[in-house]
Amino acid sequence: MLSTQQADDDSANVFVAKLDNARNVSNILKAIHFKDTATVFVTSQGLKVTVEDAKCVQANAFIQAAVFHHFVLTQDQATFKVNLSVLIECLTIFGSGAGGSTAAASLKMCYAGYGSPLVLMLEEDGVLTDCSLKTLEPDEVLDFDFCSTNVINKIIMKSECLKEVFNELDTSSDILQILMSPDAPFLQLSTFGNAGSTHSSFSKESDMVEAFQCTQTQSNRYKMQLLRPSSKALALSARISIRTDARGFLSLQYMIRNDDGQVCFVEFFCAPDEEMEEPDH
Amino acid sequence: MKCVVPGVNLKVFGRAIHSLAKIGDEVYFEPLEQGLSLRTVNSSRSAYACFLFFPSYFQHYDDGSREDEAGRNSEEEEEGLRCKITVKSIMAVFRSLSTIEKTVEKCKISHNAREARLVFELHCRHGIVKTHNLAYIECETLQAIFSKDMCPNKLSAPSKLFCDVVVNFQTTQEEITLTVRPESLSLKNYVEDEPDPNKVVHTELNLAPEEFDLYQVGVDTDITFCLKELRAILAFGETTGLPININFESAGRPVTFCIDSDQTFEANFVLATLADVDQSSSQMPASQRSQQAASTSQHHAKHAANSKQHKAKDVSVKKESKRKESTKTDRHRDQELNRNQPQPSSSAANDVDNMADISAEEFAAAMEAEEDWETEEQTENNPQDRITDQQTLQGAETDDTTQKEGRVTETNTSPGETKRKEGRVTETDTNLQGGWLGKSLHEEREVEEEEGEEEEGRNRGGLKLNGAEGRSSSSPVIPVQCPSSGKSSLLLFADEDIWSKPKREGPCLQPLDDDDNDDLDETIPGTPPAKKFRSLFFGSSQKASQSTQPQQNNTVLAAETDEED
Repeated sequence: MLSTQQADDDSANVFVAKLDNARNVSNILKAIHFKDTATVFVTSQGLKVTVEDAKCVQANAFIQAAVFHHFVLTQDQATFKVNLSVLIECLTIFGSGAGGSTAAASLKMCYAGYGSPLVLMLEEDGVLTDCSLKTLEPDEVLDFDFCSTNVINKIIMKSECLKEVFNELDTSSDILQILMSPDAPFLQLSTFGNAGSTHSSFSKESDMVEAFQCTQTQSNRYKMQLLRPSSKALALSARISIRTDARGFLSLQYMIRNDDGQVCFVEFFCAPDEEMEEPDH
Repeated sequence: MKCVVPGVNLKVFGRAIHSLAKIGDEVYFEPLEQGLSLRTVNSSRSAYACFLFFPSYFQHYDDGSREDEAGRNSEEEEEGLRCKITVKSIMAVFRSLSTIEKTVEKCKISHNAREARLVFELHCRHGIVKTHNLAYIECETLQAIFSKDMCPNKLSAPSKLFCDVVVNFQTTQEEITLTVRPESLSLKNYVEDEPDPNKVVHTELNLAPEEFDLYQVGVDTDITFCLKELRAILAFGETTGLPININFESAGRPVTFCIDSDQTFEANFVLATLADVDQSSSQMPASQRSQQAASTSQHHAKHAANSKQHKAKDVSVKKESKRKESTKTDRHRDQELNRNQPQPSSSAANDVDNMADISAEEFAAAMEAEEDWETEEQTENNPQDRITDQQTLQGAETDDTTQKEGRVTETNTSPGETKRKEGRVTETDTNLQGGWLGKSLHEEREVEEEEGEEEEGRNRGGLKLNGAEGRSSSSPVIPVQCPSSGKSSLLLFADEDIWSKPKREGPCLQPLDDDDNDDLDETIPGTPPAKKFRSLFFGSSQKASQSTQPQQNNTVLAAETDEED
């Protein structure tokens, strides 16, 4: 049941967090919003929100505790599943305020433990909104087992140039091929669509590339529709890190700066597409 | 083939692609010795656009014709470079012009013969290279035959003037009418039938000759053409800031818009105009259809004759500007047109598919037709040969030709001469009577098709179907223009013989197959035959009869002399 009084009573809550600008959270969550449900992990470091699709792709949004001006967790951690669409709608209930100059809504999140709803309180310009979202049993999330030691190729670059390329990717292509190599072309994104094939190559000498550590030539294919959602995160980000491991799994990490200059990370993992033959067009 | 467009010129190049995309569905790409040509024709073949970028436009230009290794001659090399790319593919490369302007340093276009791909490499800032390998379809050259210099009316004004004018018309407005008189020029929106005066908005705008850089009116005339295509032309013109030169003659004859920048590029747009019902036979000149680069020339005619539904859209329309005898075609390739008359056969690219009905010969003929358009000179020489091949050519063997015309012949009462190829049936037939055969038929078909699409079958400016054939052989060359809406300027020009030949009363042009006719008819909604060229060729008497029925039989030429009277 919804009870504002209880929400104020910190002792009943396992987790309470407050921040001044709800957009700092809602924007990040929008970047991973490609499925309706998300699993939320609350730890002392902050919040981690995970969204998965087809057991092949996983997106994680990390909102550090430092982003909140009040962050209290009485247990080691709390995990629950919640409807992400509804959560984002509640967070943006006062409007998404794209301008940024509009007044920001302040947010208070409370969670009383297993089985309790996630309670949100938003206030803007004297108007107060209470939301109570039912929580669901948290399913196990995939563990891509992507550890840094297995990383074969890694490139860190500025997001600007990639944004355009991603937006112009041929939508008629089913797959996106990513080639990373210590030799030319150093990084190449390819699509094979109705119009023919398109390749976008990035040189390692480019001033957009901040770090280039490629040890082996690797070319992997990923389903376009799984990677499409990452373009939202790419659009918000300032920098991107692309890593592939020995199995061909892809890790895309985006560094997003929010309105207050704080940094948050969004990470995408994607399993490669095992194509038997070259569908070259 | 390899050429490099420097970043500064990419804006214009991209704009050219955009305007081609607004007109047609495919861009015909052909590197020539004199430059890179990009052309298109719209689906109804009533608008043709051609951009020619001279070698000085490029940082590096190699059309592949100077290949001298292994004894490969330039022809061979060039052969492989006549292709067309769908608008969708090429727009994927040049979609966002603002981005291209900002980030691309140069664009390299090359041909990967091994994999049959046209490669566009955009070298952008920050060391990024975007490579697009586009699949293309090999085709014949798309060539329209039209004459700029012979037009009595010439206007020249900065693009901005026209942009300002065009903005006053509703965006849904399809066509506009340009009326020129020595003392003034006016633009009105074109309303087909006036259903209810209360619901129709008439817009009229007048301009004084002083506003133009060049204002030469030889013949007072009103021409009606498609506004949508004009907007596409102006969109290009505006970005270049160059003046637009407009050349036209009279209703039914094509109107040409030229934008050229001296040494760097040249853009020509040819639009069909609605033929006037009361137009006199002055239309005859060959380029009836200004637009269509009908490559299909002869075979089309035949093809048309079959009246199968060839919706020749794809077929390249050859524009035959030839008047019956005059070969005036400006740039036509001599192709098929051979018909007796030297027809400017434009070797429009023809899609083989269209030729469905076309007989094999025609096809062959069509294929051969694509020649350098420069060399078009009248196909006189070819013609004969072609004709036989083409079948459509009327002249060649009258009797044979008539057969060839196949369908057409049937309609043509006159043997051989009436080859009217019209395939298109009805529309062009009306005038056909005699002769157009061959090409014209085909053209008409094209025209018809287009017309149907465009406007209920109005004929747009001259299709040049010129049947030119007849001449020599007796077959009357009746440039049949699509009878439908009378647009087509039809080349008409009947042969003496034609007159003597009994013309088909009924829809001459109509292909023998009813089906075809029907189809055509459908496409071209009841355009009153009146508009058709009918009388043009033959003189007024015919008109009367013709006007009565649309499509039908356009009395056309000489057809029944009895009737005439």
